[in-house]
Amino acid sequence: MSGFGSPAEIGVAQYLLMMIEEVGDGTAALPHTVGHFPGTVNTLDADGRLGTDLLTCIIDSIGGMTSGLASLPDWIVTTNLMIRRAPDALVGDRGTGELILDTHVLRRGRSSVVTRVNVADSRGVSVATSWMSCAILTPANGPPPFTRPVKPFEREVPNDPIFAAPTHEFFNLSAGETPGEAHLSIEQRLRNPWGILHGGSSAVVLDAAARSLVLGRSTVEPTPEAIVTDLAVHYLSPGRVGPIVATATSTGRRGPDHLVRVEVRDRGADDRLMALAMTTVRRLD
Amino acid sequence: MPADEVPADSRPAYPPPRHAMSLLALESEQDLAGDVRGWMPVTPYTSSPGGMPRLATVAMLVDALGGMRSITASDPDWAFTADMSIHLLPAGPTEVLQADLHVRRRGRRTLVIEAELLADYERPAGSALLTFAVVPRPEHLVNITINMTPGRRMMNANSTHEKLETNYLDELELQVREPGTVLIELRPVVCNTVGALHGAIHASLIDEASASLARSLFNTEAITTGLHLAYLDLGRVGPLTATATAIGGPSNGRLTASVDVHDGNGALVSTATTEVVAL
Repeated sequence: MSGFGSPAEIGVAQYLLMMIEEVGDGTAALPHTVGHFPGTVNTLDADGRLGTDLLTCIIDSIGGMTSGLASLPDWIVTTNLMIRRAPDALVGDRGTGELILDTHVLRRGRSSVVTRVNVADSRGVSVATSWMSCAILTPANGPPPFTRPVKPFEREVPNDPIFAAPTHEFFNLSAGETPGEAHLSIEQRLRNPWGILHGGSSAVVLDAAARSLVLGRSTVEPTPEAIVTDLAVHYLSPGRVGPIVATATSTGRRGPDHLVRVEVRDRGADDRLMALAMTTVRRLD
Repeated sequence: MPADEVPADSRPAYPPPRHAMSLLALESEQDLAGDVRGWMPVTPYTSSPGGMPRLATVAMLVDALGGMRSITASDPDWAFTADMSIHLLPAGPTEVLQADLHVRRRGRRTLVIEAELLADYERPAGSALLTFAVVPRPEHLVNITINMTPGRRMMNANSTHEKLETNYLDELELQVREPGTVLIELRPVVCNTVGALHGAIHASLIDEASASLARSLFNTEAITTGLHLAYLDLGRVGPLTATATAIGGPSNGRLTASVDVHDGNGALVSTATTEVVAL
């Protein structure tokens, strides 16, 4: 589920520190927003590039919020999300540093919303394109409070060093015993305002499992020699208990591109299937 | 209901002669649990230069089988395709593509189906994921019955006597206006049961818009290997036009594109992202 509410309640948003502004006067039936992701040292790699794990998080955050604005007075849950990275911005300095997320709702139906997010760096170099689908629902306590048009606001970051930690530490990841398996232990900071695991967290753990499989070593740390270039993730049920376990299996390869299938399960909730993804992992070495 | 008691239906028979689906000679088999397996012969008219089935035709296979699987999975409701992802692998020259479909989630409002693709019954050829929107069964479909008897059969009776004798995309009369821009007129042979552009023909437009853009950028043959497609509205007004835009520049023989399909009134009816590989 995508979550967006009081800044004090969303740990993932406090970690990412993306600023979001609505374009226009806030009355458009199909809202348009722009996100500014500053990119901090702990979230970027040595080249200054954001991994597909956190890229998915910020796309899910702004796409979910913008889809929600289109659904008011109801709200949304993300059902699936598709990302493709630009092939010429995978290495070197293209597509690095601060990112701009241009977000348009394409369709608002009776029960679902489809939203597109294009991501570029501050020089206008394309980084990725994405679309996501959300299901409209009526939240028990109403939607998050918004003043339209939505304006950027400063998020208060808790005085806790974990909010300045690398991605795998913030998301409480640990490597499985074999390559292709990654675990996430749920902490409060990883939940959304509805108390379930933030959708971006699922993306982080499955991204780690996929890269680990392709590299053939058990790791959840950054991997400069491999990057997820394409992701299709379907959110099937919420994560509530944990540990969350992502298991990747190889489907085949095309040169340096490995097609990987990943299942994400909530082991503490009868091993329920939370998410199913197909990803492409590019070997860069 | 005996056939002689069925009220006369004044609608034209579907599919009409030489419909895009019939020409691909799709076969299917459904077991008692509802799981579906299907096959598509791969010919010079439906393959890419490497001898593998072109993405446009794979989309038709998984869309048709997914629709078949969705009927029992969504019962007593109905399901419409909401989106489709396809990844193709280099499986080499192929005679038959097989797809095995499995339901991964049946919720109140959505159905998720996964397809495993095999070339010649043994080599991994890729995969597909489809989402269906579950809705109350439309009135005109309340009495539909599904043939669940075991056995492999043609998905459409016309396939027994209608043969594809030219390139599939030429048969569809796709027109490449310029690299990245492809148009199709709305004719019964490319429509679905409600007279809108068939879901898999959206994929054909998107495939060729992407590949034509890539060919112009690479200056060589190119094949679409990946698709993420979201259906936004019924394309009821022709002609329909797909426009592909590169996301960044090509690199290492790969191109990423964003493709929008608009109807004859300029309304956005589907959107996709694709990956295209130079040969």
